[in-house]
Amino acid sequence: MRKRLAAFIRTEPEGGPSSAGTSVFWILASSASGLLIIGWLLPWFVGPYDAGVGYSAQDALVSSPTGIGTILIYILAVAMVILFVSPFAEAFMRFRGRTFGPRADRIRLYLGIAGVVLTGVVWLLYRVLGEEPLFGSLQPGEISDSAIWLTMYGFALAALVYGARPWVIGRQTLAFGTAVLPFGIFLPLMFHQAPDFLLWAAGSLAIYMLLALGLNVVVGFAGLLDLGYAAFFAIGAYACASFASPIHNIHWPLWILIFLGAAIASLFGAILGAPTLRLRGDYLAIVTLGFGEIVPDLATNNVFNLTGGPNGISGIDQPHWGFMDFSESPRWYYWSLLLVSIAVIVLLYNIERSRVGRAWVALREDEVAAAATGINTTTTKLLAFAIGASVSGLAGAFYGSLVTVVTPDDFSFSVSIAVLSIVVLGGIGNIAGVILGAVILTFVIFWALPNMDAWSTTLSSTVHIPALANINFSSYTYIIYGLALILMMLLRPGGLLPSRARRIELESAGESESLAAVQGIA
Amino acid sequence: MSDQSGTPGAAPGGTGGRTGAVTLVDQGNLGPRTSEGSSFFGAVTPIFRFLYSLISKNFGALLLALIVLSIFGTFLQGGATLMGNQIKNALVLGAIYALVAIGYTMVYGIIELINFAHGDVFTVSGFYAIFIANTLHLNSLATSSFGGLLLALAIVFPLSMIAAGLTGMAIEFVAYRRLRDAPRLAPLITAIGVSFLIEGVMLVREGPDYVTTGQASWINGTAFTIGKVAVGYTDLFVVGTALLLMFALGAFVQRTRLGKAMRSTAQDRTAALLCGIDINRTISATFFIGSALAAAAAVIYSINYGDVKWNIGFRLGIIAFTAAVLGGIGNIVGAGVGGFLIGLIYVFGGSLIGGAWSEALIFAILVLILTFRPVGLFGVEVTTRA
Repeated sequence: MRKRLAAFIRTEPEGGPSSAGTSVFWILASSASGLLIIGWLLPWFVGPYDAGVGYSAQDALVSSPTGIGTILIYILAVAMVILFVSPFAEAFMRFRGRTFGPRADRIRLYLGIAGVVLTGVVWLLYRVLGEEPLFGSLQPGEISDSAIWLTMYGFALAALVYGARPWVIGRQTLAFGTAVLPFGIFLPLMFHQAPDFLLWAAGSLAIYMLLALGLNVVVGFAGLLDLGYAAFFAIGAYACASFASPIHNIHWPLWILIFLGAAIASLFGAILGAPTLRLRGDYLAIVTLGFGEIVPDLATNNVFNLTGGPNGISGIDQPHWGFMDFSESPRWYYWSLLLVSIAVIVLLYNIERSRVGRAWVALREDEVAAAATGINTTTTKLLAFAIGASVSGLAGAFYGSLVTVVTPDDFSFSVSIAVLSIVVLGGIGNIAGVILGAVILTFVIFWALPNMDAWSTTLSSTVHIPALANINFSSYTYIIYGLALILMMLLRPGGLLPSRARRIELESAGESESLAAVQGIA
Repeated sequence: MSDQSGTPGAAPGGTGGRTGAVTLVDQGNLGPRTSEGSSFFGAVTPIFRFLYSLISKNFGALLLALIVLSIFGTFLQGGATLMGNQIKNALVLGAIYALVAIGYTMVYGIIELINFAHGDVFTVSGFYAIFIANTLHLNSLATSSFGGLLLALAIVFPLSMIAAGLTGMAIEFVAYRRLRDAPRLAPLITAIGVSFLIEGVMLVREGPDYVTTGQASWINGTAFTIGKVAVGYTDLFVVGTALLLMFALGAFVQRTRLGKAMRSTAQDRTAALLCGIDINRTISATFFIGSALAAAAAVIYSINYGDVKWNIGFRLGIIAFTAAVLGGIGNIVGAGVGGFLIGLIYVFGGSLIGGAWSEALIFAILVLILTFRPVGLFGVEVTTRA
């Protein structure tokens, strides 16, 4: 049963990693983003979304694009849809035993470049003609022309990155990460005046993705279990709150604070790690677990009068730079988070392949052997811990500034477990997998479950089953985390998108024969 | 792995060889894994080394001194009555910690896994006890007469212990058994997953608030008073039951065939297998016993405190685990003693520096133990496996 299931959802062919594996990544990303796009385009066809009524069947043409850019946009749309479909076609061909050959990638590359350039031109036209400013005032749920442009831009960018893949050797993960970003994660930003819950969900998604990327360094790369990761998140958020709020009357800019938050968090990570890193990983798990419980406690107890007690710190500054007024709309946060996420992904990707990253892998696979080859195990582990904590601190600083109020309850143990679930679900040690995991899990937790509450209430009044309305789906989050952790570990320990080394390690444990084979290859 | 005698973390007094004590773990694995080239602790000055070994050698004495000092501090603060009451509270709390800690230590001893779900088995047993008592109308029976109370206790203890034991076995069978040979990270992650799953189910079923057990009224009255400190029958019952169960467990592990099988499985699983011991059955039995003790602790808890909540077991679990580490993980007697010590630290530390800090204090103790004496107070350093 387990083998059959594993074979069914296996992403990589038996022959090892090839571009076919990547094209399956592509399919996953494309279908996820396709669903999202359909969801967001829906109001365009059925009329605006009204919070009280739902989608009303209003004249859809009101908000449909008109004017000089329209034709260009439709042409672009067709081109981009072709690009969008082509990996599916390619995967189908591969399934039938044939391939398009390198020409397909070349075509995608050229089309991608053309798409990026053309959409840029359209955008300029829009700006010059003033038909619609980039973010005009629209009703909630309406979708602006520039939003469609931006969607197309995302398609084009992804096609470009994906098409350039064969020329950038060994950059599949990076390509995938960059391709997923515009689709799955930051698409909501492109829609001006999106419903608030959507903006919040997108914000949570970006924050959780950063957290998961940081935890992935500790759990995935170095193989140490950190169960108190929310503590570093809290430290970053409280650092931001202390230095940019009326509580101590200090008002530092956010860009300094994200580095400050990262630095303080990594310092705490090193302090916490030092006594336990000499011991076995289990002890690190329990110590971090305790730490994760204690930090919110300290905040609740208002340690040194710094943290404001159980009510936390409120009134955190929101930056205002020129035309970027962060308090006016959360979207500037999204754009900043987009930049920061890309920077973090690129950074971590490079660290993974650096000398330190290889030392982590060696340590994870066999600590004794790693020490014998001259790796300083303590320093290497501490580095993993500090780097992981610093990403968390950075995300925390952003979080504090975004929500403007931090309270101890925001950093409970369930946050640590949510982040761990993202890493385990997506793929331990694989950046692309972690991004995918963040998309899936935050979608479920922040969008699907709260909506299911509303749907079940509506359904119960329609079909007259009062019991349906009483089900509080939001309270099922713990069960979802728990099941995700257990099932993934039992059925697919590498996660949805396993990193190759990790998958081999996890699946061949106990089979000395294949392990030897792997070691022979590596 | 190389001999570790040169590293400062190695606990002194290691004579090698396993003792006949009630020890379920190969303690050698707990030693520090620093290599000779470690710059972090390797390059420290001899003075630091000396201080380290001094603290490490006398860790137990230092801890006891701290406890005695804090008891004395409480005496100065609130007089003999407060001190006496706090000692009573500490022993009651310690008894519960000790029973839960034994479950941690047994499981760690036999399969070297921190069973994160153990604290939640404690909570779920509290709900089992409520369910059993309500279904069989034990609350009115227990409050009717002394004989009724004994009968109610004789029903609720075994039933909830069996239910919890079966739960523990199921957890082991579903979540840990097939990961026994997997990398260490995998069972740890499923353990935390099981913990969350159980908590989630309890949250959905029982709601987010405290649930009154109705068992707080089972045992009433004051047994005797020392000075102004009233010792209730409940307190005697809690500590007495805990001690009784612990001695019963000690006898079981030392005297019975299954206990012997457990000890040998803990020492060397392969060799035990070669001797004809059914490993799966032995590990299942360990989970059953550990969970049953957690259930006993839960019943005691609900009789003493009167309410349970979906997530009480989580923090209690961390504290009990600290007790297990303090006593030397894998060591059943150590877990028992560690539970009572942690109870004292929790209560008296809390009364001195404020109750809100008790858990931070326990956590600090955990870090100190792991830094200075990772094998625990009663742990025996044995030579590392090759």
